[in-house]
Amino acid sequence: MNPLELTLGIMTAVGGFVDISELVFAAKAGSTFGFALIWVFAFSTVGIIVFSEMSGRVAAVAKQPVFNLMRHRLGLKLGLVVLAASIISNLITCAAEIGGVALILNYLTGAPYLPMTIAVTLGLIVSIWVLPFKWIERAYGLLGLFMIIFAVALFANHPPWHELASGFVPQVPKGLSTKELLNFGYFAVAIVSAVMFPYEVYFYSSGGIEEGWGPKDILTNRLTSILGMGLGSLLAISILANSAILFGPVNVDPEIPGSVALEAAIPFGKWGLVIALLGMLFAVAGAGVETCLANAYSIAQFFGWQWGRHKKPWEAPRFTLTWIVLFLAALVLVLTGVNVMTLVEFAVLFSILVLPLTYLPLLLLSGDREFMGQYANGSTTRALGWFYFGIVAAAAVAALPLYLLTSGGNG
Amino acid sequence: MRRRTALVFILLTGCGKSPQSDIQYIKQARSIAAEWALVNEQASAGQITAIYASSMHRWLHDELRTASKSLSQPHSRYGLEIRVLLAEPKDTSPDRLQRHAAQLKQIESHLESA
Repeated sequence: MNPLELTLGIMTAVGGFVDISELVFAAKAGSTFGFALIWVFAFSTVGIIVFSEMSGRVAAVAKQPVFNLMRHRLGLKLGLVVLAASIISNLITCAAEIGGVALILNYLTGAPYLPMTIAVTLGLIVSIWVLPFKWIERAYGLLGLFMIIFAVALFANHPPWHELASGFVPQVPKGLSTKELLNFGYFAVAIVSAVMFPYEVYFYSSGGIEEGWGPKDILTNRLTSILGMGLGSLLAISILANSAILFGPVNVDPEIPGSVALEAAIPFGKWGLVIALLGMLFAVAGAGVETCLANAYSIAQFFGWQWGRHKKPWEAPRFTLTWIVLFLAALVLVLTGVNVMTLVEFAVLFSILVLPLTYLPLLLLSGDREFMGQYANGSTTRALGWFYFGIVAAAAVAALPLYLLTSGGNG
Repeated sequence: MRRRTALVFILLTGCGKSPQSDIQYIKQARSIAAEWALVNEQASAGQITAIYASSMHRWLHDELRTASKSLSQPHSRYGLEIRVLLAEPKDTSPDRLQRHAAQLKQIESHLESA
């Protein structure tokens, strides 16, 4: 285990943790319910750590990506259903990220939004084409570390630490009306979805294969998952807590992603604002790249094509064509004029519906002793895996009714 | 929220023409007024860039216009309040914008308790 590689891997995971959905839902959750939803972020982070570690371990031991194994485990028909659902979910998520990056550039430079979505898409395509895999992930992840400004701002905003700490304890605030309870439920489900997005697992496990992981990398995989995602989650929690302190008391429920940057501008002024916007820019752009590549990985792996960014683009032509077409399809979705916040809501809604279908085969495969040998799930991982599978299945059932009953958390 | 969401909601609940169905837009307008006040407060304190302030004004105004157009009762008291807010210049004082937010919050609370 190379300590420098490990540190860079963890820092990349920290900087790449937050995406446009987490930005939006963390800020809205904080302004609407104070610190009461912090525990949902912490709880979901343990879930994504469990499944990411599993997917990385399967990739390291079996040297096969999740979607390839999924097709063999689920059969062609059900595998196709999962593939179609995840393509839709990832495509909407990718469109939301592209729109988010263009919006942030608009806040930074004043450049017009729609032309900027085209420039952003081309920029992301060029970055994937030019950079080797390791640096695609690292460039965005490390630059996304500008997001640490939100954690620093939290200290500068002098939160009531005792109340903030009590937010980590699972709770439902007392005295809520039925409507408010439904809203709380909707936010809880949306946060689970935003933190446990399926693309993260597809990208992470495919990335492990791109980097040639083997059983010797299992400890690196475990540390990267636990520390990288755990610390990354603290950034999302900082956004929520800042929002509870600064926005809730003045009746602001952030209606546009740009409001989040005020959390750093209020204590630190213009430099805080610019650093926050830069962090948001790279974190959201990185998520855009990950969603698109995750989709292309899934399709190529399902149909058994040559795939991977460790190959030259022309050595895996169908894979290359797929990720370019997916970027362009996401761009078309944004160019229809659909609001970024609407895209974020739909991305979260579709993703939660796909989550059980994504995680069940992974859970079965990683626990299969014939397949994984000594690296199969231990009793703790197995128990956590099934527990979180139950949670995402329940959340998937509840998501659509809650969305309709609360008008997407605005009812 | 947005129109498409509202349409699905209305079709499913069959309660499209009551002030209650407008609560989400009133909430949205209240939040926009408060966000606008916060932006102007920070701008006058020199805490944010002019480009950011101008961009925020534009997006908040767009969102407010969408909320106003989505109202089922545009000639109601809250419809009027939102139209007055829409007509305010970008550099309106934070106090004035906060008064709009407070007014809308009052209407929102009244409708929610009805």
